Amino acid sequence: MKEITTDKEFSEALNNLSLEQQRIVGALFVDNVLKLSDDPRVAKALEAAKNSEISEDELNLARRNIKAASLEAHTRCGAEGEWLDQAGYFVARAAEACIETQVRSQGKGPAWKAATSARMARTCLASESGEDAHGAERHDQYKILTDYLNS
Amino acid sequence: MSAPTIEKGIQSIKAQIDAPIGSFFSACVHCGLCAEACLFYTETEDPRYTPINKVEPMRRIWEQEYTLVGKLKKLLGLSKPVDEKTFSDWETLVYDGCSLCGRCSLVCPVGNDISGMIRKVREGFAAAGHAPEGLIGATQRAVEIGSPMGVKLPAVKAQIGHLKEDTGLDAPLDVQGAEYMVLLSSMEIMNFPEYMEAIARIMKQAGKTWTISSKAFEATNSGIQIGVSDLAKVLVERVVDAAEELGVKTVISPECGHAFTAIRWEGANLIGRPYKFEVKHILEVLDDFTQQGLIKTEGMEEAKLTYHDPCQIARKGGVVQQPRNLLNMIATNFVEMEDPGVMNWCCSGGGGVSANERADELKLTAFKRKKSQLDALGVDTLVTACANCRLTLEEGLEEYEMDMPVVGLTEMLAEHLVTDKEEPSQ
Repeated sequence: MKEITTDKEFSEALNNLSLEQQRIVGALFVDNVLKLSDDPRVAKALEAAKNSEISEDELNLARRNIKAASLEAHTRCGAEGEWLDQAGYFVARAAEACIETQVRSQGKGPAWKAATSARMARTCLASESGEDAHGAERHDQYKILTDYLNS
Repeated sequence: MSAPTIEKGIQSIKAQIDAPIGSFFSACVHCGLCAEACLFYTETEDPRYTPINKVEPMRRIWEQEYTLVGKLKKLLGLSKPVDEKTFSDWETLVYDGCSLCGRCSLVCPVGNDISGMIRKVREGFAAAGHAPEGLIGATQRAVEIGSPMGVKLPAVKAQIGHLKEDTGLDAPLDVQGAEYMVLLSSMEIMNFPEYMEAIARIMKQAGKTWTISSKAFEATNSGIQIGVSDLAKVLVERVVDAAEELGVKTVISPECGHAFTAIRWEGANLIGRPYKFEVKHILEVLDDFTQQGLIKTEGMEEAKLTYHDPCQIARKGGVVQQPRNLLNMIATNFVEMEDPGVMNWCCSGGGGVSANERADELKLTAFKRKKSQLDALGVDTLVTACANCRLTLEEGLEEYEMDMPVVGLTEMLAEHLVTDKEEPSQ
């Protein structure tokens, strides 16, 4: 597999993966921004995404927990927003995407959803500091996917 | 705002009492219909949440100051006073227990605008220093920073950069003479970045010029929620000045309920003159575009879905048919909740309730009304058009362990646009 260098190639490659593979790749994208969240439920969700042997009950429990984590992390209407905290919200959303049911995903692939939320987590840092790490995150994701496809 | 005092609160309420308010109090027949229309009453069965009771401090002032019987009662010491205790006792009723949804006003058989009166009573409570901390902070940030959530221009620019890098789409800043000026709510900037992408896709396909103002990108108006007209006016003027400076034809209010009320319905009265541009809600614009054949969709949502009408957009804003036209274009199994459109039930988080942490428990109790509506339908997806409703609904669904996605209609429509083959297809 040649190196992925554009979002068009990136999305096409993701579309060719099975649901199980998409969950694993999505979890790898979230791993790359995991340090932006201090919620242990995120790591648990990623474990569930990577575990192809997981039971439906365990998966449902992980879904409930990460959904709660994502909701708790958002900035409430009218509250003073902290962009560093908000990055944690997008990391939780990315992890949630990795294991959500297909009804919830509305036909979007979990890996793509995880990728865009992980990029938003980086964008939050740019909102705080002016430093733009978003492009770097995108290229990290291209490399993660290329490496996965070549492994 | 000068330092709040009880006296200022009383004077402020007194200043709000005009002929319509006087006639509303005179006309009230104590029928109790407003109670049955209010989800804070129906879900708690606490009579204190009867809407007309929430304006009792104003009624007492009206009676004592403007009626013969009231003046006599006051003289003889037979009236109930309006004092510090009154403000303390009613503060949670006025702010926590009312989402300014307006359902009470709609059912009142004598036409009393009870919701409008509660909005006016809030002016007095804010002046008396009896407003929730969350709303005070939001209002201060809105005036000082430009956003109730403290969102500054670099955050908007970062999102525009994100959009360009990921999709190649542009969200142009400060374009002189653009047809449309798009406003955003802080909630969309912070929690739902999908909205900006959806707008960019839609405008590109419609072939319309649009812009975001760097001086006034924020749509929300916490002056309206807390009940301080002077501040609400400052926030409206900021948008009006920017739109007129850029010479845009139309300002688009986003998926935010009270923002639409502020800029579309109260704004011109607040600043005391008509605008030199039109104001439309995003759903009105989308419906116009589809009627004119400017945007085309493909594919249909097959999940059973329903639409939650945001109160400020439907009941108070008149945008009822447009979301239904749009949903019928992209969904095969769209079903209505009981009491749709102007008679909808609030999500329970409007009117500043969701910004008020103290009200969380009450808000979730009041959400039971929406829960029962959704239980009766058995839908898979819930669509709405207000970022605040969206989060309130998500919190309620989470609390009652109901697993269903809540989606913004603009975002859903953008997903169904005939795709540009060069864009990533997800």
